[in-house]
Amino acid sequence: MKPRFLLLACAGITAAIAVAALAQAGGPTAKAEGVTFLGEPLTPEQIGLGRELYAANCASCHGSKLEGQPDWQRRLPNGRMPAPPHNETGHTWHHADRQLFTITQRGVSAVVPGYESDMPAFEGVLSDAEIAAVLAYIKSTWPERQREFQAKVSARDGGRS
Amino acid sequence: MKSSNEIRPTRRVFLTSVAAAGAISFLPRVGLASQNEATSKTLAFDGDNLLSAGRGLAVSGDDGRSWIELASPGRILALATHRDQPGLVVAGLAEGGVARSRDGGKTWQSGRGGLPAGEVGAIASAARNPDLLYAAIRGDGLWKSEDAGKNWSLAMDRPWLNEAERDPLTLVSVDLETGMGGIWIYAGTDVGLTRVPDCFCRWQEVLPGNAMDALVTGSASPPEAPLPLGEPVLSLASAPSAPERLFAALPSGIWASEDGGVVWRRMIEGTASVVAVHPGDEQHIAAVIGSTLNLSRDGGATWHARAAG
Repeated sequence: MKPRFLLLACAGITAAIAVAALAQAGGPTAKAEGVTFLGEPLTPEQIGLGRELYAANCASCHGSKLEGQPDWQRRLPNGRMPAPPHNETGHTWHHADRQLFTITQRGVSAVVPGYESDMPAFEGVLSDAEIAAVLAYIKSTWPERQREFQAKVSARDGGRS
Repeated sequence: MKSSNEIRPTRRVFLTSVAAAGAISFLPRVGLASQNEATSKTLAFDGDNLLSAGRGLAVSGDDGRSWIELASPGRILALATHRDQPGLVVAGLAEGGVARSRDGGKTWQSGRGGLPAGEVGAIASAARNPDLLYAAIRGDGLWKSEDAGKNWSLAMDRPWLNEAERDPLTLVSVDLETGMGGIWIYAGTDVGLTRVPDCFCRWQEVLPGNAMDALVTGSASPPEAPLPLGEPVLSLASAPSAPERLFAALPSGIWASEDGGVVWRRMIEGTASVVAVHPGDEQHIAAVIGSTLNLSRDGGATWHARAAG
């Protein structure tokens, strides 16, 4: 077998393994191509790390498939809102990268003063790079329309998507 | 020289005018004017026409001097119109559901389209899209329709203020950027003002746009003068021609803001219940104070009572 064909075959096998792993994990399909976070292009490694961190830190509330808590538009008995979806059915893609990072790192009250939420701040739990990886993973699952919308929102927020 | 029924918004003159209007109300009814104004629960400008709904529905083409009664699709609690589509009128009904008119209220189509049972206490059309409607169902939440009222879906639960859910008493789409790719929806409740971005992420207080920057940098907070705390906000209006101009009707009077609701000033004292603003002229305001319809053509500097019809 010629080296070129060998490389292609290896790449194909790797892709098939990745697809199989995703299917096994049951998570949404992630695509790194064309997606950026705070202006930086995303790598498959970041997205892979983000997927793992999301599963460990976020999925228990936001859902393993980013589907959010049931009935997430209805208030909980304590007056707080349930965890929303992070997929295209939610509102995450309306927020700029910088705002998503701040909410994850410091909590919702960091962008809406006084707002009470069950979501904790992840400062001290996840590093900046890890928070970026989680958000990169979430962004990589969005359909094209949501990606484009959010890229424009981020660009207006400071020129970085 | 001011006309005989022109009012300066001072307390003394205003009270005098209300007393005069009250006296006039004992006179025999003149056309539809006195009947309509005494029962007006909601107002909306449809182009230059002023719609008034209470026990019935009526339209005036001359700033409330005379009225033509229209067939009402039900007991109307709220009205919405749109600057880009004169003739389009949407009504929230006490018996539930929403009615739409394409001819200024002459004919109506009613339906629920997925809305739950319950009074539609407040309604608004999106400032940038007349087909996008919002309806507040009492005791339920905020619903939206993206096809001009044919189909509805839940947008968000009711706002949470002072440790309880609050029904929006009034809704208005305000054409000011949220920074989230959309614009704001403001709501008046029985304990004050709140707003939600049209992505429906969360109800929140009205704060200056640079409040967070000030918090982070430790610089002086921008000035704020909120509406009186704890007072019901019964009616809100946003001027499409100047969206940073907001008007609010409260039991303490008609209030105005020039900056999207951060700093408010009282334009006129009195038990106000309804306010509306012309879609193309932010100086042209209609308000119900006591049982009297008042019109201003100069942004609230002077008011003309219409109780005499």
